[in-house]
Amino acid sequence: MSGDLAYLGLAEAAELIRTKKLSPVEYVTALLARVERYDAKYNAFIALTPERALTAARAAETEIGAGRWRGPFHGMPYALKDIIDVKGLATTAHSKILKGDIARRHAVVTERLEAAGGVLLGKLSTHEFAIGGPSFDLPWPPARNPWNRDHFCGGSSSGSGAGLAAGFFPAALGTDTGGSIRNPASMCGITGMKPTYGRVSRRGVAPLAFSLDHIGPMTRTVRDNALMLQVIAGHDPGDPGSADEPVPDYGATRGQGVRGLRIGVIRHFYTSDVAGHPEQVEALDAAVKLLAGAGVETREITLPALQDFSACGQIILAAEAYAVHEQWLKERPHDYGARARERLLAGATLRAVDYLQAVRWRLQLRDRVASAFANLDAAITASSMDPACRVDDDEALAANYWRQARMPFNVTGQPGLVIPAGFSKSGLPLSLQLVGHPFGEAALYRIAQFYEEATGWTKRHPPGLSD
Amino acid sequence: MNEELRDKARALGLDRLTEEHLAQFERAATGMERHLRRLPRGVPVAQEPAHVYRAKGEAP
Repeated sequence: MSGDLAYLGLAEAAELIRTKKLSPVEYVTALLARVERYDAKYNAFIALTPERALTAARAAETEIGAGRWRGPFHGMPYALKDIIDVKGLATTAHSKILKGDIARRHAVVTERLEAAGGVLLGKLSTHEFAIGGPSFDLPWPPARNPWNRDHFCGGSSSGSGAGLAAGFFPAALGTDTGGSIRNPASMCGITGMKPTYGRVSRRGVAPLAFSLDHIGPMTRTVRDNALMLQVIAGHDPGDPGSADEPVPDYGATRGQGVRGLRIGVIRHFYTSDVAGHPEQVEALDAAVKLLAGAGVETREITLPALQDFSACGQIILAAEAYAVHEQWLKERPHDYGARARERLLAGATLRAVDYLQAVRWRLQLRDRVASAFANLDAAITASSMDPACRVDDDEALAANYWRQARMPFNVTGQPGLVIPAGFSKSGLPLSLQLVGHPFGEAALYRIAQFYEEATGWTKRHPPGLSD
Repeated sequence: MNEELRDKARALGLDRLTEEHLAQFERAATGMERHLRRLPRGVPVAQEPAHVYRAKGEAP
Protein backbone atom coordinates (compact mmCIF):
# COMPACT_ATOMS: atom_id res chain seq x y z
CA MET A 1 0.00 0.00 0.00
CA SER A 2 1.35 3.40 -0.82
CA GLY A 3 2.07 5.79 2.04
CA ASP A 4 0.00 8.32 0.10
CA LEU A 5 -3.18 6.31 0.67
CA ALA A 6 -2.38 5.77 4.36
CA TYR A 7 -2.03 9.49 4.99
CA LEU A 8 -4.72 10.62 2.59
CA GLY A 9 -6.81 13.31 4.25
CA LEU A 10 -10.57 12.96 4.65
CA ALA A 11 -11.26 15.90 2.34
CA GLU A 12 -8.96 14.60 -0.40
CA ALA A 13 -10.28 11.06 -0.08
CA ALA A 14 -13.86 12.33 -0.19
CA GLU A 15 -13.22 14.11 -3.48
CA LEU A 16 -11.56 11.02 -4.97
CA ILE A 17 -14.46 8.85 -3.83
CA ARG A 18 -17.07 11.31 -5.12
CA THR A 19 -15.44 11.40 -8.53
CA LYS A 20 -15.03 7.59 -8.47
CA LYS A 21 -11.25 7.79 -8.70
CA LEU A 22 -10.95 5.91 -5.41
CA SER A 23 -13.05 2.92 -4.51
CA PRO A 24 -14.18 2.81 -0.85
CA VAL A 25 -13.57 -0.95 -0.93
CA GLU A 26 -10.01 -0.46 -2.17
CA TYR A 27 -9.41 2.27 0.43
CA VAL A 28 -10.81 0.27 3.32
CA THR A 29 -8.97 -2.89 2.23
CA ALA A 30 -5.68 -0.99 2.12
CA LEU A 31 -6.18 0.55 5.56
CA LEU A 32 -7.19 -2.78 7.11
CA ALA A 33 -4.02 -4.34 5.68
CA ARG A 34 -1.97 -1.53 7.18
CA VAL A 35 -3.60 -2.05 10.58
CA GLU A 36 -2.90 -5.79 10.34
CA ARG A 37 0.72 -5.07 9.50
CA TYR A 38 1.53 -2.44 12.10
CA ASP A 39 -0.96 -2.40 14.93
CA ALA A 40 0.73 -5.14 16.95
CA LYS A 41 3.35 -2.45 17.58
CA TYR A 42 0.97 0.42 18.44
CA ASN A 43 -2.17 -1.21 19.93
CA ALA A 44 -4.48 1.49 18.58
CA PHE A 45 -7.35 -0.98 18.17
CA ILE A 46 -9.14 -3.00 20.82
CA ALA A 47 -11.39 -4.59 18.20
CA LEU A 48 -11.02 -4.49 14.45
CA THR A 49 -14.24 -5.18 12.51
CA PRO A 50 -13.07 -6.00 8.96
CA GLU A 51 -16.15 -7.87 7.76
CA ARG A 52 -18.47 -5.14 8.93
CA ALA A 53 -16.20 -2.53 7.33
CA LEU A 54 -16.00 -4.27 3.97
CA THR A 55 -19.78 -4.77 3.88
CA ALA A 56 -20.28 -1.04 4.55
CA ALA A 57 -17.62 -0.10 1.99
CA ARG A 58 -19.28 -2.25 -0.67
CA ALA A 59 -22.67 -0.68 0.09
CA ALA A 60 -21.16 2.79 -0.16
CA GLU A 61 -19.51 1.95 -3.44
CA THR A 62 -22.77 0.66 -4.88
CA GLU A 63 -24.68 3.74 -3.75
CA ILE A 64 -22.09 6.18 -5.04
CA GLY A 65 -21.89 4.24 -8.29
CA ALA A 66 -25.64 4.69 -8.63
CA GLY A 67 -25.29 8.45 -8.22
CA ARG A 68 -26.40 8.65 -4.60
CA TRP A 69 -23.35 10.32 -2.98
CA ARG A 70 -24.36 11.42 0.52
CA GLY A 71 -21.51 13.84 1.24
CA PRO A 72 -17.85 13.90 2.27
CA PHE A 73 -18.21 11.12 4.83
CA HIS A 74 -19.71 8.64 2.36
CA GLY A 75 -17.45 5.60 2.11
CA MET A 76 -15.03 7.17 4.61
CA PRO A 77 -13.18 4.87 7.03
CA TYR A 78 -13.28 5.95 10.65
CA ALA A 79 -12.84 4.47 14.11
CA LEU A 80 -14.34 5.08 17.56
CA LYS A 81 -12.88 5.28 21.03
CA ASP A 82 -14.19 2.25 22.85
CA ILE A 83 -16.51 4.09 25.18
CA ILE A 84 -18.84 4.94 22.27
CA ASP A 85 -21.64 2.49 21.54
CA VAL A 86 -22.04 0.67 18.25
CA LYS A 87 -25.06 -1.61 18.10
CA GLY A 88 -24.00 -5.25 18.27
CA LEU A 89 -20.40 -4.54 19.31
CA ALA A 90 -18.93 -4.58 22.80
CA THR A 91 -18.22 -1.25 24.50
CA THR A 92 -15.47 -2.21 26.91
CA ALA A 93 -14.15 1.19 28.06
CA HIS A 94 -10.84 -0.76 27.95
CA SER A 95 -11.86 -2.35 31.24
CA LYS A 96 -12.38 -5.80 32.65
CA ILE A 97 -15.50 -4.37 34.29
CA LEU A 98 -17.32 -4.03 30.96
CA LYS A 99 -15.55 -6.73 28.93
CA GLY A 100 -18.13 -8.34 26.63
CA ASP A 101 -20.80 -5.71 27.27
CA ILE A 102 -22.66 -5.57 23.95
CA ALA A 103 -24.34 -2.29 22.98
CA ARG A 104 -28.02 -2.57 22.11
CA ARG A 105 -28.13 0.61 20.07
CA HIS A 106 -25.85 3.13 18.43
CA ALA A 107 -24.66 6.22 20.26
CA VAL A 108 -26.06 9.35 18.61
CA VAL A 109 -22.63 10.19 17.16
CA THR A 110 -22.38 6.68 15.69
CA GLU A 111 -25.85 7.08 14.16
CA ARG A 112 -24.80 10.35 12.56
CA LEU A 113 -21.55 8.97 11.15
CA GLU A 114 -23.33 5.90 9.81
CA ALA A 115 -26.10 8.01 8.28
CA ALA A 116 -23.42 10.06 6.55
CA GLY A 117 -22.11 6.84 4.99
CA GLY A 118 -19.04 6.34 7.22
CA VAL A 119 -17.29 2.97 7.32
CA LEU A 120 -16.38 1.87 10.83
CA LEU A 121 -13.05 0.01 11.00
CA GLY A 122 -13.26 -0.85 14.69
CA LYS A 123 -13.08 0.26 18.32
CA LEU A 124 -10.05 2.01 19.73
CA SER A 125 -7.93 1.81 22.86
CA THR A 126 -8.62 4.28 25.62
CA HIS A 127 -7.38 4.85 29.11
CA GLU A 128 -9.67 2.74 31.28
CA PHE A 129 -13.07 4.45 31.53
CA ALA A 130 -11.37 7.48 29.95
CA ILE A 131 -9.60 8.27 33.21
CA GLY A 132 -6.62 6.13 34.13
CA GLY A 133 -3.69 5.25 31.94
CA PRO A 134 -1.48 4.14 30.39
CA SER A 135 -2.12 0.78 32.07
CA PHE A 136 -0.31 -2.50 31.65
CA ASP A 137 -2.65 -4.43 33.96
CA LEU A 138 -5.78 -4.51 31.77
CA PRO A 139 -7.10 -7.09 29.31
CA TRP A 140 -5.66 -5.05 26.41
CA PRO A 141 -2.27 -3.32 26.20
CA PRO A 142 -2.11 0.48 26.06
CA ALA A 143 -1.72 2.30 22.74
CA ARG A 144 1.81 3.42 21.90
CA ASN A 145 3.06 6.59 20.24
CA PRO A 146 3.91 6.12 16.53
CA TRP A 147 6.52 8.89 16.73
CA ASN A 148 8.41 6.79 19.25
CA ARG A 149 6.73 3.79 20.81
CA ASP A 150 8.76 4.16 24.00
CA HIS A 151 6.96 7.44 24.62
CA PHE A 152 3.48 8.20 25.91
CA CYS A 153 0.82 8.69 23.23
CA GLY A 154 -1.45 10.71 25.50
CA GLY A 155 -4.93 9.87 26.61
CA SER A 156 -7.48 9.06 27.33
CA SER A 157 -8.36 8.91 23.60
CA SER A 158 -5.06 7.13 23.08
CA GLY A 159 -5.97 4.74 20.25
CA SER A 160 -7.56 7.62 18.32
CA GLY A 161 -4.34 9.65 18.47
CA ALA A 162 -2.02 6.71 17.81
CA GLY A 163 -4.10 5.35 14.91
CA LEU A 164 -4.26 8.71 13.15
CA ALA A 165 -0.51 9.25 13.48
CA ALA A 166 0.10 5.71 12.21
CA GLY A 167 -2.05 6.29 9.11
CA PHE A 168 -4.65 3.67 10.07
CA PHE A 169 -7.66 5.91 9.35
CA PRO A 170 -8.31 9.55 8.42
CA ALA A 171 -10.83 10.31 11.18
CA ALA A 172 -11.76 9.15 14.67
CA LEU A 173 -13.81 10.25 17.61
CA GLY A 174 -12.42 10.93 21.05
CA THR A 175 -13.90 12.18 24.28
CA ASP A 176 -12.60 14.92 26.55
CA THR A 177 -13.46 15.41 30.24
CA GLY A 178 -10.19 16.95 31.40
CA GLY A 179 -8.27 17.07 28.12
CA SER A 180 -8.60 13.56 26.67
CA ILE A 181 -8.95 14.60 23.02
CA ARG A 182 -6.34 17.34 23.20
CA ASN A 183 -3.70 15.40 25.09
CA PRO A 184 -3.27 12.63 22.48
CA ALA A 185 -3.54 15.29 19.77
CA SER A 186 -0.52 17.02 21.37
CA MET A 187 1.45 13.83 21.94
CA CYS A 188 0.77 12.27 18.52
CA GLY A 189 1.01 15.41 16.36
CA ILE A 190 -2.56 15.36 15.11
CA THR A 191 -5.58 17.71 15.26
CA GLY A 192 -8.16 17.37 18.03
CA MET A 193 -11.22 19.50 18.73
CA LYS A 194 -13.01 19.58 22.05
CA PRO A 195 -16.15 21.39 20.92
CA THR A 196 -18.31 23.60 23.10
CA TYR A 197 -20.13 21.76 25.90
CA GLY A 198 -23.43 20.62 24.43
CA ARG A 199 -22.36 20.94 20.78
CA VAL A 200 -22.17 17.16 20.28
CA SER A 201 -24.54 14.66 21.86
CA ARG A 202 -23.10 12.30 24.47
CA ARG A 203 -26.01 9.87 24.43
CA GLY A 204 -24.70 6.33 24.10
CA VAL A 205 -21.21 7.23 25.32
CA ALA A 206 -20.00 5.92 28.69
CA PRO A 207 -20.00 8.89 31.06
CA LEU A 208 -17.01 9.94 33.09
CA ALA A 209 -18.23 13.24 34.56
CA PHE A 210 -21.54 14.47 33.19
CA SER A 211 -20.93 18.20 33.42
CA LEU A 212 -17.44 18.04 31.91
CA ASP A 213 -17.80 15.34 29.22
CA HIS A 214 -17.40 16.28 25.57
CA ILE A 215 -17.20 14.26 22.32
CA GLY A 216 -15.12 15.56 19.46
CA PRO A 217 -13.38 14.85 16.16
CA MET A 218 -9.76 13.80 15.83
CA THR A 219 -8.10 13.99 12.42
CA ARG A 220 -4.73 14.76 10.93
CA THR A 221 -5.70 18.08 9.36
CA VAL A 222 -7.84 21.05 10.30
CA ARG A 223 -10.06 20.83 7.24
CA ASP A 224 -10.81 17.17 7.96
CA ASN A 225 -11.64 18.03 11.54
CA ALA A 226 -14.19 20.63 10.43
CA LEU A 227 -15.77 18.11 8.05
CA MET A 228 -16.17 15.55 10.81
CA LEU A 229 -17.58 18.04 13.30
CA GLN A 230 -20.11 19.05 10.65
CA VAL A 231 -21.43 15.48 10.66
CA ILE A 232 -21.69 14.98 14.42
CA ALA A 233 -22.70 18.45 15.69
CA GLY A 234 -26.29 19.33 16.50
CA HIS A 235 -28.99 19.23 19.07
CA ASP A 236 -30.13 15.98 20.67
CA PRO A 237 -33.17 16.27 22.93
CA GLY A 238 -32.14 12.96 24.50
CA ASP A 239 -28.97 14.45 26.00
CA PRO A 240 -29.89 16.91 28.78
CA GLY A 241 -26.63 18.79 28.20
CA SER A 242 -27.18 19.16 24.46
CA ALA A 243 -27.46 22.73 23.20
CA ASP A 244 -30.19 23.78 20.81
CA GLU A 245 -27.92 26.11 18.86
CA PRO A 246 -27.74 26.28 15.06
CA VAL A 247 -24.78 24.50 13.48
CA PRO A 248 -22.86 26.79 11.14
CA ASP A 249 -20.99 25.69 8.02
CA TYR A 250 -17.54 24.95 9.47
CA GLY A 251 -15.97 25.13 6.04
CA ALA A 252 -17.28 28.62 5.31
CA THR A 253 -14.23 30.44 6.72
CA ARG A 254 -11.75 28.35 4.74
CA GLY A 255 -9.21 30.51 2.95
CA GLN A 256 -10.33 33.74 4.63
CA GLY A 257 -6.97 34.28 6.31
CA VAL A 258 -6.50 35.86 9.70
CA ARG A 259 -5.84 39.55 9.05
CA GLY A 260 -7.72 41.75 11.49
CA LEU A 261 -8.56 39.01 13.99
CA ARG A 262 -7.92 39.68 17.69
CA ILE A 263 -6.27 36.84 19.55
CA GLY A 264 -5.49 36.81 23.26
CA VAL A 265 -2.32 35.06 24.40
CA ILE A 266 -2.72 33.21 27.71
CA ARG A 267 1.02 33.11 28.31
CA HIS A 268 0.97 32.87 32.09
CA PHE A 269 -0.47 29.35 31.84
CA TYR A 270 2.79 28.04 30.35
CA THR A 271 5.39 30.46 31.66
CA SER A 272 4.55 31.35 35.27
CA ASP A 273 1.63 29.19 36.47
CA VAL A 274 3.56 26.20 35.15
CA ALA A 275 6.97 26.47 33.49
CA GLY A 276 6.58 24.85 30.10
CA HIS A 277 9.39 22.91 28.44
CA PRO A 278 11.60 25.49 26.66
CA GLU A 279 11.01 23.93 23.23
CA GLN A 280 7.24 24.00 23.77
CA VAL A 281 7.35 27.63 24.92
CA GLU A 282 9.51 28.53 21.92
CA ALA A 283 6.99 26.88 19.57
CA LEU A 284 4.14 28.87 21.11
CA ASP A 285 6.05 32.14 20.92
CA ALA A 286 6.86 31.41 17.27
CA ALA A 287 3.19 30.75 16.53
CA VAL A 288 2.13 34.05 18.13
CA LYS A 289 4.80 35.86 16.11
CA LEU A 290 3.63 34.20 12.90
CA LEU A 291 0.02 35.22 13.54
CA ALA A 292 1.03 38.79 14.41
CA GLY A 293 3.06 38.93 11.21
CA ALA A 294 -0.04 37.95 9.27
CA GLY A 295 -2.03 40.88 10.59
CA VAL A 296 -3.54 39.41 13.75
CA GLU A 297 -3.83 41.76 16.70
CA THR A 298 -2.31 39.74 19.54
CA ARG A 299 -2.21 40.74 23.18
CA GLU A 300 -1.54 38.94 26.42
CA ILE A 301 -4.51 38.32 28.64
CA THR A 302 -4.66 37.16 32.23
CA LEU A 303 -7.07 34.53 33.48
CA PRO A 304 -7.28 33.00 36.94
CA ALA A 305 -4.33 30.72 37.72
CA LEU A 306 -4.17 27.41 35.93
CA GLN A 307 -4.12 25.67 39.33
CA ASP A 308 -7.54 27.16 40.14
CA PHE A 309 -9.11 25.66 37.03
CA SER A 310 -7.34 22.40 37.73
CA ALA A 311 -8.58 22.22 41.33
CA CYS A 312 -12.13 23.17 40.40
CA GLY A 313 -12.24 20.72 37.50
CA GLN A 314 -10.66 17.84 39.41
CA ILE A 315 -13.09 18.18 42.34
CA ILE A 316 -16.09 18.16 40.00
CA LEU A 317 -14.64 15.34 37.91
CA ALA A 318 -13.83 13.18 40.94
CA ALA A 319 -17.27 13.66 42.49
CA GLU A 320 -19.23 12.98 39.30
CA ALA A 321 -17.04 10.02 38.30
CA TYR A 322 -17.39 8.48 41.76
CA ALA A 323 -21.15 8.67 41.40
CA VAL A 324 -20.82 6.56 38.25
CA HIS A 325 -18.30 4.07 39.68
CA GLU A 326 -19.19 3.79 43.37
CA GLN A 327 -20.90 0.44 43.18
CA TRP A 328 -18.20 -1.19 41.08
CA LEU A 329 -15.49 0.23 43.34
CA LYS A 330 -17.24 -1.28 46.32
CA GLU A 331 -17.90 -4.66 44.75
CA ARG A 332 -15.11 -5.19 42.22
CA PRO A 333 -12.19 -2.90 43.07
CA HIS A 334 -9.74 -5.59 41.92
CA ASP A 335 -11.20 -5.50 38.39
CA TYR A 336 -9.91 -1.98 37.74
CA GLY A 337 -6.38 -1.23 36.60
CA ALA A 338 -4.27 0.52 39.23
CA ARG A 339 -4.25 3.93 37.55
CA ALA A 340 -8.03 4.16 37.05
CA ARG A 341 -8.75 2.79 40.54
CA GLU A 342 -6.52 5.39 42.18
CA ARG A 343 -7.99 8.28 40.23
CA LEU A 344 -11.57 7.13 40.81
CA LEU A 345 -11.07 6.59 44.55
CA ALA A 346 -10.28 10.30 44.83
CA GLY A 347 -14.01 10.96 44.71
CA ALA A 348 -14.81 8.76 47.72
CA THR A 349 -13.70 11.25 50.34
CA LEU A 350 -15.38 14.32 48.88
CA ARG A 351 -18.31 15.81 50.75
CA ALA A 352 -21.44 17.08 49.01
CA VAL A 353 -20.55 20.62 50.07
CA ASP A 354 -17.12 20.36 48.39
CA TYR A 355 -18.73 19.44 45.11
CA LEU A 356 -21.34 22.17 45.37
CA GLN A 357 -18.78 24.83 46.24
CA ALA A 358 -16.71 23.71 43.25
CA VAL A 359 -19.76 24.11 41.02
CA ARG A 360 -20.27 27.64 42.39
CA TRP A 361 -16.58 28.39 41.84
CA ARG A 362 -16.91 27.11 38.30
CA LEU A 363 -19.49 29.79 37.49
CA GLN A 364 -17.15 32.49 38.80
CA LEU A 365 -14.25 31.14 36.74
CA ARG A 366 -16.46 30.95 33.66
CA ASP A 367 -17.53 34.58 34.10
CA ARG A 368 -13.97 35.79 34.57
CA VAL A 369 -12.87 34.04 31.39
CA ALA A 370 -15.85 35.44 29.48
CA SER A 371 -14.84 38.97 30.54
CA ALA A 372 -11.26 38.41 29.38
CA PHE A 373 -12.54 37.14 26.02
CA ALA A 374 -14.98 40.04 25.53
CA ASN A 375 -13.03 41.85 22.81
CA LEU A 376 -11.32 38.86 21.29
CA ASP A 377 -12.06 36.45 18.48
CA ALA A 378 -10.09 33.65 20.16
CA ALA A 379 -7.10 32.93 22.38
CA ILE A 380 -3.96 30.87 22.06
CA THR A 381 -2.19 28.92 24.79
CA ALA A 382 -0.45 25.63 25.47
CA SER A 383 -2.12 22.26 25.52
CA SER A 384 0.69 20.12 26.96
CA MET A 385 3.65 21.70 28.71
CA ASP A 386 6.05 19.03 27.46
CA PRO A 387 6.63 16.71 24.55
CA ALA A 388 5.63 13.10 25.24
CA CYS A 389 7.46 11.54 28.17
CA ARG A 390 8.65 7.96 28.25
CA VAL A 391 5.82 5.49 28.78
CA ASP A 392 7.74 3.83 31.65
CA ASP A 393 8.44 7.07 33.51
CA ASP A 394 5.83 7.00 36.29
CA GLU A 395 6.78 10.38 37.69
CA ALA A 396 6.52 12.14 34.33
CA LEU A 397 3.26 10.33 33.56
CA ALA A 398 1.78 11.57 36.83
CA ALA A 399 2.98 15.10 36.01
CA ASN A 400 1.23 14.84 32.65
CA TYR A 401 -2.09 15.23 34.48
CA TRP A 402 -1.25 18.70 35.81
CA ARG A 403 1.37 19.99 33.34
CA GLN A 404 -1.35 20.92 30.88
CA ALA A 405 -3.72 23.80 30.08
CA ARG A 406 -6.74 21.83 28.92
CA MET A 407 -8.88 21.53 32.04
CA PRO A 408 -9.72 25.28 32.07
CA PHE A 409 -11.88 24.80 29.00
CA ASN A 410 -13.66 21.73 30.32
CA VAL A 411 -14.52 23.92 33.30
CA THR A 412 -15.78 26.80 31.14
CA GLY A 413 -17.15 24.60 28.34
CA GLN A 414 -15.47 26.68 25.62
CA PRO A 415 -14.14 24.99 22.49
CA GLY A 416 -10.44 24.09 22.41
CA LEU A 417 -8.65 23.02 19.25
CA VAL A 418 -5.18 21.47 19.43
CA ILE A 419 -2.94 21.37 16.37
CA PRO A 420 0.70 20.44 15.75
CA ALA A 421 3.18 23.30 16.30
CA GLY A 422 6.50 21.72 15.39
CA PHE A 423 8.81 19.08 16.76
CA SER A 424 11.26 18.79 19.62
CA LYS A 425 14.93 18.14 18.96
CA SER A 426 14.21 14.51 19.79
CA GLY A 427 11.61 14.35 17.01
CA LEU A 428 8.48 14.38 19.17
CA PRO A 429 5.47 16.58 18.35
CA LEU A 430 4.88 19.98 19.95
CA SER A 431 1.46 21.60 19.92
CA LEU A 432 -0.65 24.67 20.52
CA GLN A 433 -4.24 25.17 21.64
CA LEU A 434 -6.70 27.68 20.24
CA VAL A 435 -9.66 28.56 22.45
CA GLY A 436 -12.87 30.18 21.29
CA HIS A 437 -16.11 31.65 22.48
CA PRO A 438 -18.88 29.16 23.18
CA PHE A 439 -20.03 27.80 19.79
CA GLY A 440 -17.12 29.65 18.16
CA GLU A 441 -15.53 26.55 16.61
CA ALA A 442 -15.57 28.10 13.12
CA ALA A 443 -13.20 30.90 14.20
CA LEU A 444 -10.77 28.31 15.57
CA TYR A 445 -10.81 26.38 12.31
CA ARG A 446 -10.14 29.60 10.41
CA ILE A 447 -7.05 30.44 12.49
CA ALA A 448 -5.81 26.86 12.62
CA GLN A 449 -6.18 26.41 8.88
CA PHE A 450 -4.08 29.50 8.26
CA TYR A 451 -1.39 28.32 10.70
CA GLU A 452 -1.39 24.80 9.29
CA GLU A 453 -0.90 26.05 5.73
CA ALA A 454 1.78 28.51 6.80
CA THR A 455 3.84 25.92 8.67
CA GLY A 456 3.17 22.58 7.01
CA TRP A 457 3.59 20.63 10.27
CA THR A 458 0.71 18.27 9.48
CA LYS A 459 2.53 17.05 6.36
CA ARG A 460 5.09 15.23 8.51
CA HIS A 461 4.43 11.65 9.52
CA PRO A 462 6.16 9.26 11.90
CA PRO A 463 9.23 7.54 10.46
CA GLY A 464 9.38 3.79 9.96
CA LEU A 465 5.78 3.34 8.85
CA SER A 466 6.12 3.46 5.08
CA ASP A 467 5.65 0.45 2.91
CA MET B 1 -1.48 0.42 56.53
CA ASN B 2 -2.95 2.39 59.42
CA GLU B 3 -6.25 1.38 60.95
CA GLU B 4 -7.64 4.87 60.67
CA LEU B 5 -7.47 4.69 56.88
CA ARG B 6 -8.98 1.22 56.82
CA ASP B 7 -11.83 2.43 59.07
CA LYS B 8 -12.41 5.39 56.78
CA ALA B 9 -12.59 3.13 53.73
CA ARG B 10 -14.92 0.76 55.57
CA ALA B 11 -17.19 3.62 56.58
CA LEU B 12 -17.46 4.53 52.89
CA GLY B 13 -18.45 0.97 52.03
CA LEU B 14 -15.06 0.26 50.46
CA ASP B 15 -14.42 -2.84 52.54
CA ARG B 16 -13.02 -4.93 49.69
CA LEU B 17 -9.94 -2.77 49.20
CA THR B 18 -6.69 -4.66 49.58
CA GLU B 19 -3.56 -3.19 51.18
CA GLU B 20 -2.41 -2.09 47.72
CA HIS B 21 -5.78 -0.46 47.05
CA LEU B 22 -5.70 1.31 50.42
CA ALA B 23 -2.31 2.79 49.58
CA GLN B 24 -3.87 4.10 46.35
CA PHE B 25 -6.84 5.41 48.30
CA GLU B 26 -4.49 7.29 50.59
CA ARG B 27 -2.57 8.84 47.69
CA ALA B 28 -5.84 9.77 45.98
CA ALA B 29 -7.19 11.42 49.13
CA THR B 30 -3.94 13.34 49.67
CA GLY B 31 -4.02 14.57 46.07
CA MET B 32 -7.63 15.70 46.46
CA GLU B 33 -6.73 17.56 49.69
CA ARG B 34 -4.39 19.76 47.63
CA HIS B 35 -7.27 20.71 45.33
CA LEU B 36 -9.66 21.28 48.24
CA ARG B 37 -7.26 23.76 49.84
CA ARG B 38 -7.76 26.06 46.83
CA LEU B 39 -11.56 25.85 46.96
CA PRO B 40 -13.09 29.21 47.94
CA ARG B 41 -15.56 28.90 50.77
CA GLY B 42 -16.85 32.45 51.05
CA VAL B 43 -19.26 32.37 48.13
CA PRO B 44 -22.19 34.80 48.46
CA VAL B 45 -25.16 33.00 49.99
CA ALA B 46 -27.51 33.93 47.19
CA GLN B 47 -25.33 32.35 44.53
CA GLU B 48 -26.94 29.04 43.71
CA PRO B 49 -24.60 26.20 42.98
CA ALA B 50 -26.30 25.13 39.78
CA HIS B 51 -29.25 25.95 37.63
CA VAL B 52 -29.88 22.73 35.84
CA TYR B 53 -33.03 21.40 37.47
CA ARG B 54 -36.19 21.98 35.53
CA ALA B 55 -39.56 20.59 36.41
CA LYS B 56 -40.93 18.48 33.58
CA GLY B 57 -44.37 18.65 32.01
CA GLU B 58 -46.66 21.09 30.27
CA ALA B 59 -47.70 24.38 31.89
CA PRO B 60 -51.38 24.31 32.90
